[in-house]
Amino acid sequence: MINGSSSEKSTVRLKGVREGLWVTLDPNQPVDILKADLTKLFAQAKHLTHNAHVILDTGIFDAPKSLTDELTRFLKDKFHVESVSPPKQETTERQPQTLQKYDMDHSWRRQASDALIIAGRVRSGQKIQARKHLIVLGDVNPGAEIIACGDIIVLGSLFGTALAGQSDQEDAIILALRFRPIQIQIGGIVAAGLPESGSKTAEYAHVENNAIIVEDYLTSNPFNRFTWPEIR
Amino acid sequence: MAGNTLTQSRCSLEGKVIVITSGKGGVGKTTTTASIGAALALEGKQVAVVDMDIGLRNLDVVMGLENRIVFNVIDAIKGKCKIRQAAIKDRRIENLYLFPASQSDNKDVVKPDEMVRFCKMLRKEFDYILLDCPAGIERGFENSIAPADEAVVVCTPDISSIRDADRVIGLLYAKSITPKLILNRIVPDMVARGDMLSHQDVVDILSIELIGLVRMDDQVVVATNTGLPLVLQKDSTAGEAFRRIAQRLNGQKDIPIQIPQSTKSIWKTIGQKLGLGK
Repeated sequence: MINGSSSEKSTVRLKGVREGLWVTLDPNQPVDILKADLTKLFAQAKHLTHNAHVILDTGIFDAPKSLTDELTRFLKDKFHVESVSPPKQETTERQPQTLQKYDMDHSWRRQASDALIIAGRVRSGQKIQARKHLIVLGDVNPGAEIIACGDIIVLGSLFGTALAGQSDQEDAIILALRFRPIQIQIGGIVAAGLPESGSKTAEYAHVENNAIIVEDYLTSNPFNRFTWPEIR
Repeated sequence: MAGNTLTQSRCSLEGKVIVITSGKGGVGKTTTTASIGAALALEGKQVAVVDMDIGLRNLDVVMGLENRIVFNVIDAIKGKCKIRQAAIKDRRIENLYLFPASQSDNKDVVKPDEMVRFCKMLRKEFDYILLDCPAGIERGFENSIAPADEAVVVCTPDISSIRDADRVIGLLYAKSITPKLILNRIVPDMVARGDMLSHQDVVDILSIELIGLVRMDDQVVVATNTGLPLVLQKDSTAGEAFRRIAQRLNGQKDIPIQIPQSTKSIWKTIGQKLGLGK
């Protein structure tokens, strides 16, 4: 960011953004002072201003049309800028939302399956590894080992060892309808098996403050906060 | 077509090889083998029981035939003697023969394909060939399951035994053998108190066909020490259970599986149901 002057507070500030040059000024100042400060700044950054797109931001104040028109003319004549425009309303806030809407509408149609879905009982001594997510339709017996780079979902009883988010994804979860593993790991965090909670509903494990926490899935509902369904 | 039918009928006349295994040691494989072998022989079948625990033979002691061993199964497999010479005939039970293990060799002297060939010869002579598998899943186990048509997994209601049985079941499925389950050493009082896993819990985890529940029985120790077959003892609950298991293995599917019940008096049970006392 280039400030007009270091000694006195400048009325104009300039910074480079993706769209071009972002000029913030105080419209309550006299036009001559604004022009003088603009000249000072634009002269310093002459190599950037030529044919540049300038966004004129008047902050929280509404600038009169005459002022913006005059400054536009001034910048175009003196520094040969391409265009001058006011900032778009709430640009920064709206952008991710449009992106998510795009995801929702189109993106997952092209999504190839990342999940390994297996049906049956995983027995002691058997080891199943998934490149990303792993879904087991059945039980995982004590002594069995299931490993995934993403999430692990067991639609049955989990008695064995489950390693999710291998090797460093700590946002992975392990979900089971009956959650009684010998040991679980998420990312690099290890948790030893827990005594049976007696819960009759699905439970899931996730990482919170570098510790693995097991909660009732339906009551805590971890993905409830998402505004749009997201691809995991 | 005619040739086909002939082969099929000959196949059905050939004996069946059943391996009795568990993974874990000390769960009662040898007692089960001896008892089921004796019970099948009492049903009128020609039965051979083969001790596959080469180097650590036990089956001969349990069957009380220790003092009659001249040749063993290794001699028979390696052709040092005739098969008939290695078979020891039980004098109390008609049609029951034992092939004892060698005590001096180790398990590596036999290969799985040698066992397949040996059992092929036995099939012609016997209706049932029971293989008493050693503990573990190494060479002795591989030798035992290689010729097997069926498998019986013996398990006790404790976590470590279930874990090993589960592993063995996975290995048997990998060899396309569908195992059946015998749950041994159930103590009904402990199950009732919740101190022991119930047979439903075990079947839930192992999820294979159950063919028998055997109660913990002091007579087993007596039978092992005296060499008197368990199934010949009138007051043995375990012997009774093994007789029924043998009948089920022999194709009598309609025999119900009896769940061992606690011997507590009926008044105590009612009192417990009503919440009186412990």
